[in-house]
Amino acid sequence: MKKYLSILTMQIINNIAYPGDFLGRSISIATFIFIFAGLWGTTFTIANTDAINGLTFPNMVWYFMMAETLELGRPRINRTISEQVKNGEVAYILNKPYNFLLYHFSAGLGDGAVRMTLNLIVGSIVAWILAGAPPAPLGWLMAFVTLIGAWILHFCFMALIGLAAFVVEETNSFELIYQKLVFILGGFLFPLDMFPTWLQNIAYALPFPYMMYAPARLFVKPDVDLFWRMLGGQAIWVTVFVFILAFVYQRSEKYLTVNGG
Amino acid sequence: MRQVKFIFALWKANLQAAMEFRAAFFTQIIFMMINNGVYFIFWILYFDKFNAVRGWDINTMMLLFGITASAWGIGAFFFGNFISLAEVIVGGRLDYYLSLPRPVLLHVLASKSIGSGMGDLIYGIGSFMLSGYFTPDGTLRFLLGVFAGVCIFIGFLVIVQSLSFWLGNTVALSQFALSALLTFSLYPSVLFDATTKFILLTLIPAALIGTIPAEFVREFSWQSAIQMVSGSLVFLFLSIFIFKLGLKRYESGSAIQVEV
Repeated sequence: MKKYLSILTMQIINNIAYPGDFLGRSISIATFIFIFAGLWGTTFTIANTDAINGLTFPNMVWYFMMAETLELGRPRINRTISEQVKNGEVAYILNKPYNFLLYHFSAGLGDGAVRMTLNLIVGSIVAWILAGAPPAPLGWLMAFVTLIGAWILHFCFMALIGLAAFVVEETNSFELIYQKLVFILGGFLFPLDMFPTWLQNIAYALPFPYMMYAPARLFVKPDVDLFWRMLGGQAIWVTVFVFILAFVYQRSEKYLTVNGG
Repeated sequence: MRQVKFIFALWKANLQAAMEFRAAFFTQIIFMMINNGVYFIFWILYFDKFNAVRGWDINTMMLLFGITASAWGIGAFFFGNFISLAEVIVGGRLDYYLSLPRPVLLHVLASKSIGSGMGDLIYGIGSFMLSGYFTPDGTLRFLLGVFAGVCIFIGFLVIVQSLSFWLGNTVALSQFALSALLTFSLYPSVLFDATTKFILLTLIPAALIGTIPAEFVREFSWQSAIQMVSGSLVFLFLSIFIFKLGLKRYESGSAIQVEV
């Protein structure tokens, strides 16, 4: 456990070593929130209403702020794993005294912690200017708890996409499709509350809402029932995907071919 | 004529290189089309709920996506280095191009092809054909809009990345400029206030790539035509001028570069 904590700490230090780059990344979140606030501000004005499907304009902006914090803060672990598989570096990592997947989990968590914190700070400032005061403390608490399950699920998907490099050379396309599924069925661009009922049912039967909608929606409108439902869903999907990942990882090792070096 | 032959030779070489890994090439194309299609579901859901926003409906959005995706696709497939010029400058990789008797900027830009760009181009054309504006005069206006989009995408990003000649490493700034330009160009500028609209026509010229050409295809107007044509010419010539100016300050180390 101690070695994984050290990896995590090392990654945090690496991230804050370059403050320029560190701050530069956070500009993106301000741009995206600005666009989104423009879209929903106009929509609410034209609809001439304070709430659409129970969500107000400030709800929408803060929802998007949380969703963007997650999306932009999550490290693309798949790219690192895929690169290591393709260039053979994986062979050097496998004989080190740590688990390959746990190593990436810790390193990714270190990256993510720094990026998400910064995104949260910059995003909150922009959202506050555009939409007023932030949600209640209970919302922050529920969002933080569900963020853990969301992050683990995201890691499982990213690792599975990265490990696909053992079988297919090009894995970037899978990442793009995965990202768009989270954008739509995860409720990133459009909260699930706005979906037609049939599409809501499909979305809830899949893991994506538990990776994005859960923390963002609970953040702006804390709801105890929804909180337990989301937590339960996360527990089921995390169990399923941890097993799939362990299985795929075992099988992947058999595909490993290293040519000298 | 000599330069035209040269650029066709570069494109031919790029295509031959892509065909060496044709399975990967076609996979990239198909996945990019799926990627764009899945992203567009957002607008289908949005307009299903709200019908229209300030005159923009699902068909206009398909038109906007068609123009932007086609313009991006052409830029990425035929002039792929327009998104990585800063890395070429900072990495001292211009040495190779400077030693050859060909226009440096054109040579650098067309030396790389991004396979997924073809997926964007096919998606863009498909989106335009389904938008309801696929008529003979609509097609002509679409082609002009796409041409303007290509010029502005390339011109703007060459200008931003040429700042590397003066500021050093501007890779992070270039990535931000690219992300802002692409994101804003996929949203109609009618959503924003007057100040933002002005920024989208000048500092981050996203409206000249998406909104203005889409409105021009919907209905001919001299104002849109002049905005598009003058905007694209200004960005194109300004980019060439700034790149040439920066080239005078270019320095490289003694690293050995291999261009494949």
